Formats: sequence, structure tokens, C-alpha cells
Amino acid sequence: MIKFAGISKEFKEGVTARRVKALDNLSLEIGQGEIFGFLGPNGAGKSTAIKILLNLIYPDTGRATIKDMDVGDKNVRRFVGYLPENPYFYDYLTAEELLWFGGKASGMTKKEITERSGLLLDKVRLLEARKRPLRTYSKGMVQRAGLALALIHDPQVVILDEPMSGLDPIGRKMVGDIILELKGEGKTVFFSSHILSDVERFCDKVGIIVGGRLRLTGSVAELLKEGEMLEEVFLREVNAAGLKEVR
Amino acid sequence: MRLLWPIALITFKEGIRNRSIYGISLLALLMLVANFIVSDMMSQEVGKVAVDMALSAVSFSGLLLVLFVGINLMAKDLDRKTIYMVLAKPVSRAQYLMGKFLGVTLLIIACLTILSCFAAASLFLIKLGHPDYFQRFSWPLVCLSFSFITLMLILVAALSFLFASFTSTSFITFILTIISYIIGMALNDVKALVEAPQAVGITVSPVTVKVVQTAYYIFPNLSFFDIKTQAAHGLPVSPSYIIGVVGYGVVYITIVMTLAGLIFRKKEFP
Repeated sequence: MIKFAGISKEFKEGVTARRVKALDNLSLEIGQGEIFGFLGPNGAGKSTAIKILLNLIYPDTGRATIKDMDVGDKNVRRFVGYLPENPYFYDYLTAEELLWFGGKASGMTKKEITERSGLLLDKVRLLEARKRPLRTYSKGMVQRAGLALALIHDPQVVILDEPMSGLDPIGRKMVGDIILELKGEGKTVFFSSHILSDVERFCDKVGIIVGGRLRLTGSVAELLKEGEMLEEVFLREVNAAGLKEVR
Repeated sequence: MRLLWPIALITFKEGIRNRSIYGISLLALLMLVANFIVSDMMSQEVGKVAVDMALSAVSFSGLLLVLFVGINLMAKDLDRKTIYMVLAKPVSRAQYLMGKFLGVTLLIIACLTILSCFAAASLFLIKLGHPDYFQRFSWPLVCLSFSFITLMLILVAALSFLFASFTSTSFITFILTIISYIIGMALNDVKALVEAPQAVGITVSPVTVKVVQTAYYIFPNLSFFDIKTQAAHGLPVSPSYIIGVVGYGVVYITIVMTLAGLIFRKKEFP
């Protein structure tokens, strides 16, 4: 469903335009219906990989595909829902208008948008606040509005960049329930997180990336079969890589 | 168009609800009230001063609208990464850019229509009080002037889109847009000056003449859109001039937006 094939990406940094490697030959496949947890320390390259999937940045080498379509084809995004890390939306729009936009841009009819947005706003507990401008929302509410926007067109692939960030325990449980629901519906979910307990709980498969290189990938059951905790596996891989901070 | 409209509509809504609009409208109203006071203080040429002031108030308020609301609508999307929510949908970069531009254009037209109505109302009332000074006054000329100001501001907005496509912050876009506006407004006079310096008793180096002549063909000549003098004095504007200015504006906007689209297609949003 999602495939990275030999993706490398460098960025120029500072006035000297020093080249910094963000991704180094990333190859990874995620099958349909899998919940994939992408783990790594800050600056490991998780968000870079996600942005390549969304065609927000272009790889220097390699190719990324979703449903065997190149991510450069905008039609791929008909099947994809995306929640960015710390999302920002238009200050003066309401959650209802935000979802109207998401639905329209995804080719939905007015009737479909009305039905789906009512359902989603209820699910993310924003139904009462749906007519309030987004600038009056708390960080957690913005995050939940972003999740509803990502799901408005009922995508087959859901990409979540740190979806639990800024959420209180109730919000985290709500997002967790939605991820499990998506799993039940056979959707593919690719999410990055720092919260290892969440990854352990929701994911079928895990990838650990450090310094732009994918250090380890496998099913959660496989990785933890020796009785190790995911935290131990994660720290071992990070230490083995010498914690090379990249991006 | 199916994809441009939702982008244009959210851009328009975001712009029209921006609190800066209230401030700009208040400033415009104050300038129009000042028009009454100044007109009452004048003992001659009341009509010309009133028309000049009304048009200047609309032009200045419109410029503030483009600089403080229009630029933010595009550049803040890049600064705050709001663009992610749009480009994560099946929308190309060119569609995003054109949709945003359409939204900003709608905003400029809506706001300028309202400002022009207030300006027209102020002129109507001053004309009622001083009918003798409005012998050569022409509503069609005043309306044409409002339309030219609107077209000029859409062109300035297009320039801001071009700058936003290659700069990294909204502040740089803001500065480049202001510089272009100032150059665009002064270009005609500066070119006339450097090409005939003997008329004012100065000397200009050939390099300066070349630089100004090159700038003349690169920067938009915004003084073409300024017919305040004709409107104030009731001087006729030929149909060929009107067609020329509209054609110049539309062609310039098309070129600028095409360039912005080409640059934007390659732009990354890390």
C-alpha cells in the first residue's frame, strides 16, 4: 500500500548552506490494513519521510508510492488523509467550514460532506464548537479538528504525524479509539509517535529510524518476543546509532 | 475551477473576517470624514480637492488591505505551514496558487466596492453642499478611477504572490511588495526625468538611464492606473487608453502569476 524505495533526502542549512542528510536510502513497505508505527528521536527523519509521502518535499533519490501510484500524482491524495504535527489552520474559519473545504477539495458532494462532517465532529467531540472560529480552540481541539479534516473523505490510507501531541489523556484515548476503529475498517495507518506505549498498543508493525537511516523494522510481536519492552528496543537502536541528530 | 473555488472561498472568508479589515475601514471612513472638513475649509476648487481626496482615500486603504491582509493570506500559509492542509488534498501547487489568488482578488473587489461606495457617498454629499464647484464633475470618470485602482491593487497582489513563491518569510514578501509599489508609482516620472535631465538642469549618467529604462520594462507601471487628475478636473479619458490600461493590467497579472506558478511548482515545504 505504502512503499518507500531507496529514498534519500538532504537539506541545506544555515548561511553556509551546509548539507544535512535527513533520509539515507530509506526502503520500507507497509501493507494494506496495517497499522505502522514510525519511531525515532527528534530529528531522526520521521516527518521528512511523511512529507515526502504527501509530496510536500521531493526526494533527491528513490521513489515513494501509495497504491502503486507515484506520490507526485495529486490523485494519490484522494486515498490519503493527513494530520500534520502541531497543525495550524485558518484562524477565522470554523471547524464546519474546515471540513467543508476538505470535503470539497476531495471531490465530495454537499450531502456527503454534511453527513460525514456531522459524524466526525461528534466523534472528535467538536459538535458543539463547530461554529466557533478555530482561533478560539485550545491546542487539543485544533488537533482533533485536524483529525476530522484528515478523515473527512474516508481515506484508505491515514498518515498521522505525532497525533497524540498536545492532547490530554481523554483526547489521547479518543485518538487511540479512532486508530483502532480505522484498523477495524481495514484502513492502513502510518503514524509517527514518541509515545511508545501507544505504539505498542495500536501497531502491527514498527520501524525505528535514527539519523535518517531505518535501523529496524518488524512486527511488534517479533520485536518483543524476547520479553523486552519496546522502550528497551528503541533505546538500544538509538544508542547503537550513536544518536546522530539530523533533522 | 471545481478545485479553485473551495480554496478561493476559504481564502475570501479568512480575509473578510480578519480584524485588520475593521481598522482599514475605520481609517478609510476617517479620511472620508476629513474630506468633508477639508472641503468646507476650501474657498475654491472644492470639487477637485474632494475628488482627489476621495480617490486617494480609496487607493491608500486598498493598498493597506493588500499589504496587511492580502499578503498574509498567502505568505502566512507558508510561514505557519497552513498550506499542508490544502496540499494534503488532491490539489496541485498551481491550483493552490490560483485558488488563493482568486480568493484575494474577490476580497479586493468586495472591499474596494464598499470603500468606493463610501467615497461616492462623501462626494455626493459634498456636491450637494457646493454644487457650483462640481460643474465639470463626472460620475463615470470617478467610477472608472475606482475600477483602475481595483485593477492596480490586484496587480500588486499578484506581485506579492510572485515574491511569496520564492521568499522564505512573509516579511520579505511584504518589503519586496512595498518596494515594487513605490518603484511602479514613480517609474514614469523618473524615466521622463532621466531621459530629459536638461529640462531641470541636471546631468544623469548613461548607466543610470539604462538602469531606469530596464526597470521600466520589468516593474509594472502603476501610474498608468492613476487617473485622479483626470477625474478631479473632469478631463476625458479615451477608450483606447482604457482598453490599453486594462490590457496592460491583465497581461501583467497573467505573466506574474504564470511565473509564480512555475516557481511554486518546484517549491518544497519542509
